[in-house]
Amino acid sequence: MSNEAARSAVLQGTLDLMVLQTLATIGPQHGYAIAARIEQVSSGAIQLNMGTLYPGLLRLEQRGFVRAQWDRTETNRRARFYTITAAGRRQLVAEKSEWTRMAAIMQAMLEGDAS
Amino acid sequence: MRFRIREWLRRLYCTITRQYNDSDEELRFHLAMAEEEAGRRGESQRDARIRVGGIAQSAEAVYDQRSIAWLADLLRDSRHGLRLLRKNPQFSIAAILCLALGIGGVAAIFSVFDAVLVRPLPYADPDRLVMIWDHMSNTDVMTKHNPAPPEWIEWRRLNTVFTDIADTQTSGPTLSGDGEPEQVSARKTTWNFWSVLGVRPLLGRVFTQEEDEGNARVVVLSYGLWHRRYGGSPGILGRKILLNDEPYEVIGVMPPAFYFLPSRDVALWTPVSFPPWMRRNFTWHDGHIVARLKLGVTLEQARTAMTALSLQVTAKDFRGPHGVEVYPLREELAGKMGTALVVLLCAASALLLIACLNLANLLLSRGAARGPEVAVRLALGAGRRRLIAQFLAESLVLAGLGAIAGLTLALPAMRLLEALIPDAMGEVRLSLDWRVLAVAAGAALGSAIVFGLAPALRGSRVSPRNGLREAGRGSAGARGHWFQHSLIVLETALAVMLLTCGGLLLQTFEHLRNTDLGLHSERLLTFETPLFRHTDFDRRVAFLNEEVERVRAIPGVISAGSINVVPFTNQASATFYKLEGQSAVVPGQVALIRNISRDYFPTIGAHLQEGRNFTSADQKSDAPVAIVNQVFADRHFAGRSPLGRKFKFGNLGEKGYWYTIVGVVKPIRESGVLNEARPAVYRVHEQCDQIGDSAAGIIVRTAGAPESIVSAVREAIWSLDRNQPIARVRTLDQIIDGQLSTSSQSTALLGAFALLALLLASIGIYGVLSYAVSQRTREIGVRIALGATAGEIMRSFGKRGLGLTLAGLAAGWGLAAAAARLLSALLYGFQPSYGRIAVAVSVLLLAVAALACFVPAHRASRIDPVMALRNE
Repeated sequence: MSNEAARSAVLQGTLDLMVLQTLATIGPQHGYAIAARIEQVSSGAIQLNMGTLYPGLLRLEQRGFVRAQWDRTETNRRARFYTITAAGRRQLVAEKSEWTRMAAIMQAMLEGDAS
Repeated sequence: MRFRIREWLRRLYCTITRQYNDSDEELRFHLAMAEEEAGRRGESQRDARIRVGGIAQSAEAVYDQRSIAWLADLLRDSRHGLRLLRKNPQFSIAAILCLALGIGGVAAIFSVFDAVLVRPLPYADPDRLVMIWDHMSNTDVMTKHNPAPPEWIEWRRLNTVFTDIADTQTSGPTLSGDGEPEQVSARKTTWNFWSVLGVRPLLGRVFTQEEDEGNARVVVLSYGLWHRRYGGSPGILGRKILLNDEPYEVIGVMPPAFYFLPSRDVALWTPVSFPPWMRRNFTWHDGHIVARLKLGVTLEQARTAMTALSLQVTAKDFRGPHGVEVYPLREELAGKMGTALVVLLCAASALLLIACLNLANLLLSRGAARGPEVAVRLALGAGRRRLIAQFLAESLVLAGLGAIAGLTLALPAMRLLEALIPDAMGEVRLSLDWRVLAVAAGAALGSAIVFGLAPALRGSRVSPRNGLREAGRGSAGARGHWFQHSLIVLETALAVMLLTCGGLLLQTFEHLRNTDLGLHSERLLTFETPLFRHTDFDRRVAFLNEEVERVRAIPGVISAGSINVVPFTNQASATFYKLEGQSAVVPGQVALIRNISRDYFPTIGAHLQEGRNFTSADQKSDAPVAIVNQVFADRHFAGRSPLGRKFKFGNLGEKGYWYTIVGVVKPIRESGVLNEARPAVYRVHEQCDQIGDSAAGIIVRTAGAPESIVSAVREAIWSLDRNQPIARVRTLDQIIDGQLSTSSQSTALLGAFALLALLLASIGIYGVLSYAVSQRTREIGVRIALGATAGEIMRSFGKRGLGLTLAGLAAGWGLAAAAARLLSALLYGFQPSYGRIAVAVSVLLLAVAALACFVPAHRASRIDPVMALRNE
């Protein structure tokens, strides 16, 4: 599997979680800042293009996990800022624990396999 | 899951409201930020663009997430379709109206069909319920006969196919106390009636085996009676009500949805409590027997097993052994209306099909004219699939509008169609419930495909080059003609089929209507005065005669008479008899017995064919006289006079009187308008002290409208006895109309469908021909310019229309022959003359088709060659 394809496969399932976690950590931000933050935290491993990021953000908005409104950046440009909602925070908590649980299981599986 | 639903709802909302909030600004901002970042890092702007992706593709991805793409397409095509419809209102209204008639007809008829034949009956596991009848092919009265109590007892004891069998008998007790006395329709049932049907009372309980066998005076009320007479008070339980002056304790009330044969009017149920003599009497044929099939037993198995059992049970019956008939309860309840509804639903579907074929033709014609538009779209890169989807979406819009209009028509029609629900079933309020809506939606979808698919496939098959070159001329090749012509032939054939079936029913109805019933039914009022209080025979007869006297004295009454059973209302009241010289009772030798007053025959206008009527000299005697009908006379004395011959009733033995025949009357259809007259004997009341009857029907011939004397009749009877109940006041014509209602209603409805079909088919022929004329204007212009006469032009078009009509006619006869088989149950054994109907239908169709051909053909012949050629 190519690096690109593997990356996008991971993204499918985890994009929501990454975006919500980012918004919960750094507060309201526009799309570019969210992508930049994810790229930075993943040490450049995850680079989101617009065609993935914005439909994802819209989906989160449609599901009521984030809210969006137009505002000004510190350089006084118009941008759309996303804020995590209460439902979004609850979803984040739930997803996080599910992810941790899954990860623990996977780890146990893989280690058990190795021995 | 909740969030996902929320997402889809928002997408749906955006799709419908078309709120595609632009994402461009946000995307441009993102790209600008990325480019600045790239600049800071010393990379090129191209690198930045590659990294974050293009604006157009991203905007597309956002759009896909925001709405539901396929739905958005469908809606856009539908809006386009609506715009087209608005541009061409005449076509649209005609098309929607055609579809409305078709879909509305299907929806309305289906609602009745559903109520009568599909919806579960109000019993537990109703499909396992059947009714059992004696099969008496050897008697003259009827073949499907009510079983006798001992048969029920034996079947119940010995059968292997039913979980249980219940017996019920008709009764008509007079309910008095708490208000005016009234005779109600009632059933006596065995205790297991309730468990066989699997029903529970709404209030209280039903009776037990101990109560049934112990002759307990208990009664279960219908919901209707409980509300009507007792105000729906729960305090009714435990109260005593008077039935034929005897106190009965109310122990239960049935729910409103409950009903059982023979009619929804049944007001109460009492234990049958067979007296010991009845339990042994094989001649007491008055049971309606209902049974529940064991799980896994089929109807066929039950028929075989029960026939064998019945032959065994009746092996020593003096009438000879006989089998049984077993029918599903649903069939018994629906009666002939079941068949009628199947026929009507087929007719409605055929009408819808005709409407669809018509529309397909119109759209095909129009599709050719739309060639240029399609060519432009193709040239601009629309795929064929997308074009077909667009054509179909347009058809869906038409069908949807047609369905809405159709349901608007169906709703008032349902009020009228409620009259089609058979009396034996509970009353139903037909409504646009989800099933009817689903059928209408299905019909609309189906029609959209039927009438839209061919135009869509054809319309989308345009090559951009040719389509544009032929702009405005729109031509369909020979193949197109062939296809459109076969549609016309098919729809004409369907119309012929409906017309023929309508003709068959109409002829049958006319035949039934004109059948000689043996009396003159106009201006005859009938009612019943139950005489259960008069147990003494002499006093009962005196009272009855006095009643008739008082009624006769009413101004406006021409004459009055009485008979124990009002004509056409009862199939039973028959018995075995033995002629002088016969040593034993002959199996199957049965006659209806009717007890009448001496002025009865003159009152109803019966025709005495031989001998004399009863006179005042015929008084109580052990040498009584009788009048027999012609059927009786023909059976025993064909070619000879029966006068002076003697007979006696079968089960009275030595003490039975010998009756001397003194007259022969023309047959009267005593047991029903639709039933052939059977052998019958008439006796005068005074001489009915053996096998008497406390039922008293009175029949009055009036000078004016019979309804006008009803209150005077009540006064007259009550002047004799203030507490005398009077029941079932109606005219004889009402009784006759009621029995013909299935026939008259199905005839009227099928006739209406057939005429609409004729109308639609002629519109179809007209449409195709006038389209051909408009397409060939130039060619006709050239022909006229070259010297063709108007007559020649007309003939060439007329010939084409006529050819289509004749082909449709021929195919229609084939269809009609097949359809007539489905219809046969509605012909009541009548043999209509197919020839007459075929001729009538052909003449009608040719006349209408000729008219439909004439208009366009005439227009063609008047084409001005100069104008036609200049149009190029």
